[in-house]
Amino acid sequence: MAFNKRLVMGMAIAASASVLAACGGGGDGEESGGSSGEAADGITIFQSKVEISEQLEAAAEAYTEETGVDVEVIGTTGDDYAQQLQIRLNNGTGPSIFSVQNTEVAERLESYIYDLSNEDMVENIAPDMELTLDDKVVGIPYGVEGFGIVYNKEMVNPEDIQDYDSFVSTLEKFNAEGINGFGLSSEAYFLIGHISNYPFSLQENPEEFMDQLTNGEVTLAETEEFQRFGEFMEAIRANTPTPLNTTYDTQVGDFAAGQTAMIHQGNWASGMLEDFEVDFEVGMAPFPLEGNDQLAVGVGSNWAVNGEKDQAEIDAAIEFLDWLHTSETGQKFIVEDFGFIPAMTNIEAGDLDPLSQAVLEASNSGNTIPWSHNDYPANVVPNDFTPVAESFFVDDSMTGEELVENLEAAWQNAAQ
Amino acid sequence: MANRKKIGWYLLFTVPLLIIFTIIVVIPFVIGIYYAFFDWDGIGANPMVFTGLENFRILLEDERFLSSTWLTVLFTVLSVVSVNIAGLAFALLVTSKLKMANLARTMLFMPYLIGGLILGYIWQFVFLDVFTLIGEVTGLESVFFNWLNNEQFALFALVFVFTWQMAGYVMIVYIAGIQGIPGELIEAAKIDGAGSWQRFLRITVPLLMPAFTISLFLTLSYGFKIYDVNLSLTGGGPANATELFAMNIYNEIFGYGNYGYGQAKAIVFFIIIAAITLTQVYLTKKREVEM
Repeated sequence: MAFNKRLVMGMAIAASASVLAACGGGGDGEESGGSSGEAADGITIFQSKVEISEQLEAAAEAYTEETGVDVEVIGTTGDDYAQQLQIRLNNGTGPSIFSVQNTEVAERLESYIYDLSNEDMVENIAPDMELTLDDKVVGIPYGVEGFGIVYNKEMVNPEDIQDYDSFVSTLEKFNAEGINGFGLSSEAYFLIGHISNYPFSLQENPEEFMDQLTNGEVTLAETEEFQRFGEFMEAIRANTPTPLNTTYDTQVGDFAAGQTAMIHQGNWASGMLEDFEVDFEVGMAPFPLEGNDQLAVGVGSNWAVNGEKDQAEIDAAIEFLDWLHTSETGQKFIVEDFGFIPAMTNIEAGDLDPLSQAVLEASNSGNTIPWSHNDYPANVVPNDFTPVAESFFVDDSMTGEELVENLEAAWQNAAQ
Repeated sequence: MANRKKIGWYLLFTVPLLIIFTIIVVIPFVIGIYYAFFDWDGIGANPMVFTGLENFRILLEDERFLSSTWLTVLFTVLSVVSVNIAGLAFALLVTSKLKMANLARTMLFMPYLIGGLILGYIWQFVFLDVFTLIGEVTGLESVFFNWLNNEQFALFALVFVFTWQMAGYVMIVYIAGIQGIPGELIEAAKIDGAGSWQRFLRITVPLLMPAFTISLFLTLSYGFKIYDVNLSLTGGGPANATELFAMNIYNEIFGYGNYGYGQAKAIVFFIIIAAITLTQVYLTKKREVEM
């Protein structure tokens, strides 16, 4: 059974070459746009919000039934949305409608994003909620979302989590009872992405602060909010099971089962809580960093239209968005099925779940802090913050101060 | 005439394959080399800036890449050893006069039939729930805990799962080798008074050299290229402690958006793998015994 020498050599080279080839997939998609001149037979949607995948498919079906235009919803796993989108745009299978998280992403994808400034529906967007790029409106907001401490009203009195001391003693109390007092989960945004917002958002001018941080004019270690943030994280690590063993699903599931008293989550989790048929009341409270009493409210994502497609498909895509935001059926989907708190003035908020209600009330009263993570350097949360947070939770000897220092190094690495 | 007919058949079978190979391997490979000399974010419409060898220069200063290199080498060495020892042991076991040999052979090969991604998720569950449970019940919590949350043990967990997956596969290669050893040689050795250990060392191992060549080659190159199990089992975590080559390249390209730089890494990666595997094939080929 002597193997042919040349065969083995050939295999060696072929197998190794395939490594490189696997990474060379993208890139040749420039001619993809506008390839077919015919009228669009359908549109495709690729978006990042896993929570509304099924509901969006239902909306697409309803639209097809009404108008005969085919709408294909491409499934997403959420976490690798940006990568998947890039691959699709590059290899010519880009969707007609995709979601753009924030200005940072919009700048990167500028050449693909269609100018929506002149569309009718833009006029209905609530003030300052549209996604703009160089004075052009390029994105229609999904809706308003907010996050904070989601708590079980039977177990937690919101007055007990209003400052550092009471928060920590609440955690200690639950720890002694064998209950998880405060649940995070292992996914990038739920581990550190959202919670890292507070010290940034509590700055007087968060955007300016972030610019100064990038330029080295301020340091996190010397900023009070971050010092306190480090202490909070230490207290959380000391009094709760490690979040690295928890996924989003188990985090929310344990909460629904009463094994966790509080989780750091947003109003988007209410759909899942409904699925679990929780039998207790839930509420949302602000994260009490430096006595903060405001929820973090912002726009999670925006609908954008792919301008590289031929005009017929662009028009069809805009028509779909128009239908979604102006027709009765479309609006019903947004409010009832997606469970969005509308960011459009022409859409009435429906019967909201308690979490969304809390966010809406906060939003209406203006009693909110912004989502700073939308202004972070691109991908800093999954790329740089998450490894830092992981090592913080793995290594008990790492102090909150070191956590903040490492976060700063991570920021500089991403901002370059 | 007969010769020409032979060439016709030859072309019929090789040309389609060659075309596919060219399209999905050779062309992207060449394009990849081209991209490695540019600063580019991978978005088709954004500008590509030619930077020459700059990408290769910064590569040497990239600590995350260097630590990923070290991890990959460590992972590969450990897994090549463990996969081949386990595979050979399995092969010897199922070629012995065991009653359950055929069943055992199937069972041992099965893990290979499960895709690496799914396998990673299965083992994630095993490490998270089963390991901690065993630890609690037996009190051996220093051994049985969630390996995936430990910066040192996460890599061993990866080696373990990779071995579990690949051992059955190289077992098949070794079985073929063992069955190719003529029975009379073994018998002659027996008559000459060689013990079973001597027979294994002096007869089986030298005659198995061709199987070693191919098994070592396969495990070496699979080990270096591993991505799926890495992704689903640890995702590179905790804190990048298990971010191996392929994942580092993927993160560079799609996470940080440095397409050109990522391609430069991929080329270095290719050269390293090619050099190591070709050396290995050359070395083990030399030791093969022709019968």
